Amino acid sequence: MVAVENRPGLHNLVVCTLCSCYPWPVLGLPPAWYKSNEYRARAVREPRRVLAEFGLELSQQTEIRVWDSTAEIRYLVIPERPAGTEGWNEVRLAELVTRDSMIGAGLPRPVEATA
Amino acid sequence: MTRIHDLGGVQGFGWINREDNEPVFHAPWEGRVLAMYLLAKRPEGWNIDMGRHALERLEPVRYLSSSYYQRWLESLVLRMRESGLIEESEIEARLGAPDPAEGRAADPDIVQAMVARMSERHPYERPAPSELPSPFEAGARVRARLADPSGHTRLPAYVRGRMGEVVMRHGVHVFPDANAAGLGEQPTHLYAVRFEAEELFGAEADPATAVICDLWHPYLEPAE
Repeated sequence: MVAVENRPGLHNLVVCTLCSCYPWPVLGLPPAWYKSNEYRARAVREPRRVLAEFGLELSQQTEIRVWDSTAEIRYLVIPERPAGTEGWNEVRLAELVTRDSMIGAGLPRPVEATA
Repeated sequence: MTRIHDLGGVQGFGWINREDNEPVFHAPWEGRVLAMYLLAKRPEGWNIDMGRHALERLEPVRYLSSSYYQRWLESLVLRMRESGLIEESEIEARLGAPDPAEGRAADPDIVQAMVARMSERHPYERPAPSELPSPFEAGARVRARLADPSGHTRLPAYVRGRMGEVVMRHGVHVFPDANAAGLGEQPTHLYAVRFEAEELFGAEADPATAVICDLWHPYLEPAE
């Protein structure tokens, strides 16, 4: 397994264009959209538009790296750490991480404002 | 062989349908197909690459219009038929027959076997055989061969003939083209190779985009 980090100005997205390779041991069975003809075809050619359709707008300057899982190497996206989490421990940070954010198809959960 | 499954970059596909709170299985039969696929007797010498190849050999229109678990079921039937584990007449006889599992609780032994099978770890990295070519270095400029292997391959059509850069060396791994053809594992160097979007998809591609795929040494040649 290889972890790829999202950073300011860099966003990673994982796909398997040839079938549906997915990190089962970590993320369980893949969702239907990940295995769909549409995602497999479009993720490598127009990732920015696909992500926008998923509700994730990235600036034209943000580099997108699409990882096509053609071998048995499984790529996992480390989402960018949200602002407002200074001093949070691992357990607290883990609660913000979603399945989709580890595919690169979404962002981590927002930090709830505390009064 | 460039079959219909090689969908990367194919145009004309539209909206990606995402379901909120998607269930793991949309119907009980999907879960049963997963169990069948994982637990069914494997032909002698069967491996994961043969499994993928069976999926790829489904008739193209059926492949595109079938749901994921339908494909698995059809490829399972294909492999069982081809290896003589099931006869066409047996399939015919069972279609439309009452379901023998109807109303029965799951067999705990089978459930356990399922869990064990799904938890199995199958590393595909291998010790390097002595006759391997010297590997490309990280940073090497390479070209994906303009090849159309006759059997199973993991060289997607959208990178063939394109120039890229080795960004990671993954060590030595089972070579799927050989493994799927029953020619043995023939492990060789595996690399993550980065291709800029405009190299793959032309001047209209997003310039801030790159695709990285894992390619084995036989798929590549030096770019210079």
